[in-house]
Amino acid sequence: MKIIEKIKTNKLIDNPTEIQKFCLHKLQSRPLPNFKSELWRLSNKSKFSEFLDYSVNEKEPKFDIPFSKNSQNTIRLIIGENRQINLIEENYSIEQLSEDKLDEYFKEQISYFDQNQNWSDLLNLSLSCTKNILGLKINGSKIPPIEIFSHASNNSLSAKTLVIILEKNCDIELLQVNLGKENSSLSQSTFFCIEENSSLNHGVVSYGEKRSNLLNSLNVIQHKNSEYNLGTLHFKFNYARFEICIKQSVGEAKTNIKSMQITKKDEQISTYTRIDFNGPDGFLDQINKSLADDKSHAIFEGSIIVPKIAQKTDASQLSRNLLLSNFAQIDTKPQLEIIADDVKCKHGATISQLNEEELFYMRTRGITLPEASKLQLSSYFQEIISFIPVSKDRWNLLDKLLNEN
Amino acid sequence: MVEENLVKDVVKEPYKYGFVTDIETEKIEKGLNEDIIRLISHKKEEPKYLLDFRLKAFKKWQKMEEPDWAGLGYKQIDYQDIIYYSAPKQKEKISSLDEVDPKLLETFDKLGIPLTEQKKLTNVAVDAVFDSVSIATTFREELAEHGVIFCSISEAVKNHSDLIEKYLGTVVPASDNYFAALNSAVFSDGSFVYIPKGVTCPMDLSSYFRINSGDSGQFERTLIIAEESSSVSYLEGCTAPMFDTNTLHAAVVELIALDDASIKYSTVQNWYAGDEEGVGGIFNFVTKRGKCLGKRSKISWSQVETGSAITWKYPSCILLGEESIGEFYSVALTNNLQKADTGTKMIHIGPKTKSTIVSKGISAGNSINSYRGLVKMGTKATGSRNYSQCDSMLIGDQASANTFPYIKSQQPNSEIEHEASTCRISEDQLFYLQSRGIEFEEAISMMVSGFCRDVFNQLPMEFAAEADKLLALKLEGSVG
Repeated sequence: MKIIEKIKTNKLIDNPTEIQKFCLHKLQSRPLPNFKSELWRLSNKSKFSEFLDYSVNEKEPKFDIPFSKNSQNTIRLIIGENRQINLIEENYSIEQLSEDKLDEYFKEQISYFDQNQNWSDLLNLSLSCTKNILGLKINGSKIPPIEIFSHASNNSLSAKTLVIILEKNCDIELLQVNLGKENSSLSQSTFFCIEENSSLNHGVVSYGEKRSNLLNSLNVIQHKNSEYNLGTLHFKFNYARFEICIKQSVGEAKTNIKSMQITKKDEQISTYTRIDFNGPDGFLDQINKSLADDKSHAIFEGSIIVPKIAQKTDASQLSRNLLLSNFAQIDTKPQLEIIADDVKCKHGATISQLNEEELFYMRTRGITLPEASKLQLSSYFQEIISFIPVSKDRWNLLDKLLNEN
Repeated sequence: MVEENLVKDVVKEPYKYGFVTDIETEKIEKGLNEDIIRLISHKKEEPKYLLDFRLKAFKKWQKMEEPDWAGLGYKQIDYQDIIYYSAPKQKEKISSLDEVDPKLLETFDKLGIPLTEQKKLTNVAVDAVFDSVSIATTFREELAEHGVIFCSISEAVKNHSDLIEKYLGTVVPASDNYFAALNSAVFSDGSFVYIPKGVTCPMDLSSYFRINSGDSGQFERTLIIAEESSSVSYLEGCTAPMFDTNTLHAAVVELIALDDASIKYSTVQNWYAGDEEGVGGIFNFVTKRGKCLGKRSKISWSQVETGSAITWKYPSCILLGEESIGEFYSVALTNNLQKADTGTKMIHIGPKTKSTIVSKGISAGNSINSYRGLVKMGTKATGSRNYSQCDSMLIGDQASANTFPYIKSQQPNSEIEHEASTCRISEDQLFYLQSRGIEFEEAISMMVSGFCRDVFNQLPMEFAAEADKLLALKLEGSVG
């Protein structure tokens, strides 16, 4: 594991910033996550080593945005591209956060970090150079949809960081696209702060190529009366790990999550979510879907934490899984930790294969087996895909998935 | 609130089994080492294979670390400060109940356990275990007529050594976990049941475990073997006196069901739970596991857990035989500062195996009540099914209810369904019942009983009524 060796010998990066130094120092005391802990227990160690076996390459080749035509009325940004963003229009403004502001922001964030739980963020922030950190402050209304790209480069480990502060009374749609390359690793950490009365429709689409790896972490803080809708899709990664941590800082906020991961061949993709309700009247509706085929392994672990203060919380979590091969495996662990008594919390989990009765019904109507399976899969995918915002047509996610399955 | 105070008064009802029997006991010195294990084995006149089994387990235990994943945060146990063998002094061999020390009989009488002749009419055979030894087993002759062996495990070692050697440690190996290894090294007594081929046990079998001394641990071991096409229903009850110190209870229960056999194992656990400040109480670390070895075999666990300061217990089923069935029905109630981490493991290995899990957790006071369960479908478990349902009820805003279901599947041709919910005593329902003239406590008790109905329906008659009362008693005063 090249990266770990470099962390140990303090040779990770030249001229580190203060934040990088701080994170590096934290990592040096325990360079690897605790594989005995619930958060890392199921992670495939050899695949994880593959992730860490690339060197950091700061000189990345030029990146061409996919579907560059047809994207009027969308603000498209690439993390790592040295471009000053300062959009001040009549109704809204999108400003880039200064380095000092970002420093201040990260210092506060790091003070809450747990070495094991935020290991991916610590690694990301110690690797991510100033150029690869995109910080935005968004304000106003009628903001056009935004697409933000993070991409990996062949034979190297890239680290990209995104910070978005959504000021009060804002309403935006944002699609984040993480693209893996052949033999590459991408570490992506995202930090959102959604202030009062704001709403964010957020989509995360991550797909890789042959043997690409991804460590994707998402930290969201929701203030009073905010709404956060998240639709995610992860597929085609040798190893991918998606960590979602959402805090409703004072409760009275709404969170909807629809996430999906699709694994094939010998891939391992996992999703870990942790939702903290730090105040009363919080709402959560979460569904995670997994599909595992061939010899792959899909993992979902979600925890909902409802302390005493979070009375009248209404939370539900559902994990639905399709296991399509004799050699694939699925692990799922939806969990509830509740201290408040006046709450409505429930969770459910199912693991099965395609519904035989439905298949039979369609076949009696003259639909062939492959077509019937495709129909079933498309309805399975559609629920999640329709929740991912921003120019869904352009990305043709459903076709992409159906053609591959 | 008036209602709150009323409830609190009722909850303060003392633990009625907390008395100590003043009886002369034979104890060995405190501490745990190879010599102590040899001494226990010698006292029980055990064959060499059993001593070897104990010593091997002890060696493994020494290398193991006490598990902390359940996050129970209990006071560290000093394993050298425990007496590993304590027995009431009595005549060497008891041929009839008349020879049992009357004080002991009195104790079990107080506990409502039918050991004496006049109480035998209840038609339940009882094996009563007092600290480290079995005191008496009733209805032996009647059972023997059917070929059923029901005795203490020490007797079984002497009289049915072949069965013990064949099955002991096959379901829960000595190195299974920290507490199972400890038990394998120092187990003192427990019950042994053997149901021969084709026999339906004519009566319910029952074990009653009583811890009497404050400084000794109880390490019993139960082994139940149901041969082809046999069936048995086994009940287990536990109580202990009130001490300010914590007492360790680390038991192992192994069940084996062969082709078409069925075992129903019911527990009402009412160990002393400590006082309101959390002083004293039993640390209950139990490994219970059943192996459905044969085709169409069935193992059903039902439990009502109300006692113990700490409960760490996961009765499990290994479903090996084709079409075998595993069931788990549980009610766990915690109050004051009790902590319970309990659940089950259903390991589906054979094809067409089925399992059902129904778990009801009720947490009141400042207690923590967690359900932790595993459902695993192995690669050969084609056509297998699992259904799990875990409901929690929270009473008061200081109690905590957690659910940690681990679900793993490696077989596409199997189905797993899990659902969990959390609720509280609904004020509307309470109001409705009260407006119909039902007293406050009774209304609460009715609602709790309704919440637990799915599980109580699975309990044998004797236990169901007792469990209902026990729950009402334990809960009173905790609702505001």
